[in-house]
Amino acid sequence: MNDDQFLDLAIKAIAGRATEPERAELDGLVARHPELMAEFERLQADARLAREVLPLVSATEATAPEMPAYARGRLQTKVRETLGRPPVPEDDALGKLWKWRWMLGLAAAMAVVALFLLPALSRSAPPMIQVAMLDTAGATRGSDTNETSLLHQTWEKATVDSFTGTDALHAWETSWPAHNRRPVVKVVFDRAAGEVRILGRWKGESFTKTFLVEQDLAVTLEQAKSFIKQRTSQ
Amino acid sequence: MDRALACDPVFWHPVVVQMPDLQALQRGDAAAWDMAFPWLWPAAFGAAQVTLQPYLPAEVEDVAIESLEALVEKVRELRSVEELKPLVASIAHNRAVSRLREWFTKTRGEGRTESLEAVQEAAGVDCPDPLAGSPLAVLEQKELAERLSQTLSELKPPQGVILTDFFLNGLSYEEIAQKHGFPKNSVGVYLKRGRETLRRIWGRRGEN
Repeated sequence: MNDDQFLDLAIKAIAGRATEPERAELDGLVARHPELMAEFERLQADARLAREVLPLVSATEATAPEMPAYARGRLQTKVRETLGRPPVPEDDALGKLWKWRWMLGLAAAMAVVALFLLPALSRSAPPMIQVAMLDTAGATRGSDTNETSLLHQTWEKATVDSFTGTDALHAWETSWPAHNRRPVVKVVFDRAAGEVRILGRWKGESFTKTFLVEQDLAVTLEQAKSFIKQRTSQ
Repeated sequence: MDRALACDPVFWHPVVVQMPDLQALQRGDAAAWDMAFPWLWPAAFGAAQVTLQPYLPAEVEDVAIESLEALVEKVRELRSVEELKPLVASIAHNRAVSRLREWFTKTRGEGRTESLEAVQEAAGVDCPDPLAGSPLAVLEQKELAERLSQTLSELKPPQGVILTDFFLNGLSYEEIAQKHGFPKNSVGVYLKRGRETLRRIWGRRGEN
């Protein structure tokens, strides 16, 4: 008898695949060498461990299957919600609470002022719209052309700037015309994030909003356009 | 993203992978996450599938997505990119176990009489109850991730494939030797070392 023969027979028995003669052979081996019983029990424990651990280890290293497309939007939303702003140290939590109280007070005061001043304000001039597209991953199968033309269709008078890096886009986003007498709005279509961001300035105030491209870019652009109209017609 | 040629420690196939940039992920860079999610998906999906496939196969994708969402919340705690896959796999595993427990509890609570054996029979599977005495099901997620990481780094090729062939595929020493072109006595050596590695990492609790 050698170790290999015992292990082959033992693992078959543990897996329930041993034939009657093989089972009898294993029983005979253990009867002649009682010390093998301890090894058999160790092998049983190892087999159970291997059945549990190995599939999980191989799953961790797997390269398939592919992620379903519908998951992307939900996951990117989670990234924005969770990592959209830098983490706040615990020590600052109290300070942040006070800031919120101030902001709430300020918002209430602004609401009261707006309520009385709005009727007195005249309607604003049409907004100046600037449009940009960020495409860090690169275009695929003409999709960028379709998207650019959709942007052109939505804002006919605007030029569409294309960016492949976030630094250049950031410079564009932070460059605003001085002393403007009409609303200025920047529209950014971020292909990788699957979102349309609106950044606006009017009457000394800034506003931003992000629209997720959940199904159709055209629908999202219409939502963005309505939002701009609502914010700049006040 | 840095391209790197990596070697799968378990299956021993060289694969081209794109390692995500951890700092970009921690900053919430949408483009970095867009490339990381498909890279992490097989680990999340596979870990959920290991537990749920025989009982709740329709839940596998949902658990995988939830696990990736949970990973986003934890990403700022990580120190190296190598921790990403073990972490998401451990999250997916623990969520799958919780989902299965809830389902068993609900099934019993509704007074349904079907037994685990009946469910297994209906699903055409023959596997032990994963919730009864499983050494993995009782591990906290952090400990599970650490042990997975350790296994991936210490289970040297070709120990993983040989352990799999012996314990999961039921091949004999001779069949394994023929399949991989090793001398028969080398199979015994690899198997012995692989078993020792598994026992050392997974056979103890609460020592980490």
